[in-house]
Amino acid sequence: MDQAVQVISARYPCRKALIQKLYQLFGDGDPFPPAVYLYGHTSTGKSSILQAFLPLLDSSTTPTSWAILSAIECYTNKILFETILNRLTGHVPCAANAYASLASVDSMKDFVAQLARLSPSRSYIVVLENAERVRDMDHNVLPMLLRLPEVTGLNVCVLLVSDLPFEKYFVRTGLAPVVKLFVAEYSKKDILVILMNDFEAVREQLGMELESNKHANLSEEEIDKRLKIVEMLKPDFYENYLNIFLNVFFKVCRDLKELQLVALECFHKYCEPVLDGTIAADDVTRLWRNISKTMKLALGTIYMRMGNVNQELLRPATVDGQTSSESVEQMQTMKRLAQNLELPFYAKFLLIAAYLASHNAAKEDKRLFMKYHGKQKKRLQTVNAKAKVSEKMATQLGPKAFTIDRLLAIFYAILDEKVGLTCNLLAQISTLIHLKFLNFASGEGTIMDGSARLQCTVGMDFIVHIGKMVGFNVRQYLCDFF
Amino acid sequence: NVEAVGTPKRNIQLSNIVEEFAEGRRTSKVMHETPKKATVEEPKTPKSARGRPRKSTSTVVEEYKSTPKSATKLKLIRSGAIKPNVQARDAPVQISPDDQLAVARERLHVSAVPKSLPCREKEYSEIYNFLEGKIIDSCGGCMYVSGVPGTGKTATTTAVIRSLQVLAQEEEIPTFEFVEINGMRLTEPRQAYVHIYRQLTGKTLAWEQAYNLLDKRFTTKAPRRVTTVLLVDELDILCNRRQDVVYNLLNWPTVPSAQLVVITIANTMDLPERLLMGKISSRLGLTRLTFQPYNFRQLQEIVMARLTGTSAFDAEAVQLVARKVAAVSGDARRALDICRRATELAEEQSRKVDKFVSVSMGHVQKALGEMIASAKVQTIKCCSRMEQLFLQAVTAEVARTGIEECSFLGVYSQFEALAAFAGVTVPNPGRAIAICSRLGASRLLICENSRNDIYQKILLNISSDDVHYALQASSLI
Repeated sequence: MDQAVQVISARYPCRKALIQKLYQLFGDGDPFPPAVYLYGHTSTGKSSILQAFLPLLDSSTTPTSWAILSAIECYTNKILFETILNRLTGHVPCAANAYASLASVDSMKDFVAQLARLSPSRSYIVVLENAERVRDMDHNVLPMLLRLPEVTGLNVCVLLVSDLPFEKYFVRTGLAPVVKLFVAEYSKKDILVILMNDFEAVREQLGMELESNKHANLSEEEIDKRLKIVEMLKPDFYENYLNIFLNVFFKVCRDLKELQLVALECFHKYCEPVLDGTIAADDVTRLWRNISKTMKLALGTIYMRMGNVNQELLRPATVDGQTSSESVEQMQTMKRLAQNLELPFYAKFLLIAAYLASHNAAKEDKRLFMKYHGKQKKRLQTVNAKAKVSEKMATQLGPKAFTIDRLLAIFYAILDEKVGLTCNLLAQISTLIHLKFLNFASGEGTIMDGSARLQCTVGMDFIVHIGKMVGFNVRQYLCDFF
Repeated sequence: NVEAVGTPKRNIQLSNIVEEFAEGRRTSKVMHETPKKATVEEPKTPKSARGRPRKSTSTVVEEYKSTPKSATKLKLIRSGAIKPNVQARDAPVQISPDDQLAVARERLHVSAVPKSLPCREKEYSEIYNFLEGKIIDSCGGCMYVSGVPGTGKTATTTAVIRSLQVLAQEEEIPTFEFVEINGMRLTEPRQAYVHIYRQLTGKTLAWEQAYNLLDKRFTTKAPRRVTTVLLVDELDILCNRRQDVVYNLLNWPTVPSAQLVVITIANTMDLPERLLMGKISSRLGLTRLTFQPYNFRQLQEIVMARLTGTSAFDAEAVQLVARKVAAVSGDARRALDICRRATELAEEQSRKVDKFVSVSMGHVQKALGEMIASAKVQTIKCCSRMEQLFLQAVTAEVARTGIEECSFLGVYSQFEALAAFAGVTVPNPGRAIAICSRLGASRLLICENSRNDIYQKILLNISSDDVHYALQASSLI
């Protein structure tokens, strides 16, 4: 068994303490604790280590059956109980048994009775992932799961896996005590070790890509030359790269899965000059200068999992280098979004009017949109209001609700031509609501009598682009925008 | 329009159903019939079950085999052919007549109702006169009996009925049928029809059918009909929003052919005015009887009446029980329970010293302490130190803000300060939430789910004086 722990520890580096703790709890033939709560951040290896660990138990001193399931899937008690029973007994609902589960279990009482019928010579482990959902189930589920051995007389343990600390679980009637296991985040050093494990795989993949992907502009001997360079790549080279990579990314993201994905994407770009032969493999400073721009781009799209789009974006920005590449990038995506959105002309104006209605105070409407609004008195209050801090500006505070009457009034004010109030126009408003550019703040059922209130949900950049497309300066009509 | 309220929506055509077992006489025929029916149905049940394919484990097979059997059994039960019975012991435990304490304990049991209830003679005669008059006149009527729990309402009423039944057997008054329902034993008000019908005929039907048959029975004229006395206990449970069941139960007595006498029992005196609709309380009538709570003399008399002939109790011990109970509720059951507990304590002591000890003031005092004293102070005394500190923090926060409801955040800052004073390390907020939820589970505090952790609202479920008293006793303050 000890050697089994070694094997898993080798597969999941930096988790030896956790695996040993699990072994202490489950491995050495003692009765299991009634319930174990395993918690830690996302992608700290909780589920995958359990998946590797549990099969080892069956071969050891205590023959063990286990069930791994997610609480999200179990939207009724019946599903939860029947899935646990099926997985513990190895019963698989299939065509032969007409997709029936082992027994029809409707209530907690039946579940406990069915569990008590299982063979007492084995041990049982129920792993419930996303355990925070158990709190939303019936009130008796969590208290009962925490004391299953007491009520069934079996050597059974419920392992709850979640991101939250256990303080969030207490119910008003109290809970049985739980063994809590905390899985700490990986440190920078840990992540470096884990990512270094992938080096061989990454190198292989690089070679395969070169072989399979016949570049039109690469000749045979060029590919051979590059393959030879790939062969020559040393772990040190990859480690240097990972150091650079983590220096940039570790501040914003410690999620191992994300880091693995982005590291692979950026590594292709990092290798390119080396494969070209323009930069030597050990010239870290020049390689850093070369990759830094790409990494900053990738930093903007982390967690977005854009796949091909990401690849395209990561292409070194040589097109226009006027401002910092990051902001250019963001502008471009927003611009692209705005351009890809094909709204009718009036719908665009309606959207702009909705934005203005949401982000301007109603008392400013007269000054902003009426031609003859009279002389404005300068009072101390208005002077003070001008000296607003940025946090108090209407554009920062989020959208306010407005009525449809006000929306139409602003629409007619900002539109130069006179257009009839046809049903098409009103249908466009409801389409905008349907497309979730507007949503109801209140009075969803009372839209016809004018008491329904709407909100505009799009951002400033987006609306500015829309304004540009129809030739309308939005900023001019925002009272809080200087 | 009498029919409008009570008529159920689903009206079953019952023109061809004749009320054949009205007196419950033809049970032999039922016994004969049901097995035959069952044999016809026996092959049917597995067939319908086979339609749903299942995994054929041994347990499932067992179920198949047992289904038809239980179906016939169920049918027999529903038809009243077999009666439910409980498994019997080999022989009852014998109590030696010279064991005074055991005899006293048996006599003091709440369920051992004496033949004549002491201190309820006036109420007894009132109910007796009412019922006797109605039975002799063979007309219908209603009576409403009220009083706080444990004042002998049901015991007096059933005693009256028992003595009337004896008279009817001796043919001094006309015979009558007696039906008894209890609102608390019904899952739903409409089940009252089922229970009444079952007691009249022995058969169990769906409530619509039972209602129709009862309605037919009470509204149609029949020669040689006897009076039916219906005792409705816990009337307030039968009152739902529509109040159709109560209406029907109180409307049938007004029908001349019914000869139904309804005695309703409830706790509150003003129930007809408070809860019932006007037309129902008018049908309930003004024949009412209120059972006053027992005073200490009456309680003493009740206990002494049960103890006649035994020397188990000291006289002043009984008086102490009577005075203590009469001051709180006047509940006779409570007094009897306390006396029983006192006999147990005395028995324990007599076993220890190995000679007879009669129940004295000391035993009663101890029993009263166990049964009346609040457990909360004891609970606080037995809390862990941190829990006591947390309770103290809650009282401090309530005192500071002046509002009963305080948030966890405020309590925690008080908790930190108190812990610093006491010189102990403060548990982190997570642990403090665990402490809070433990106190909430033992109902010393009222708190929410711990999901909205530091913003949860906390209420003290005990008076803050209790907390101070308990903590002073445990020398924490």
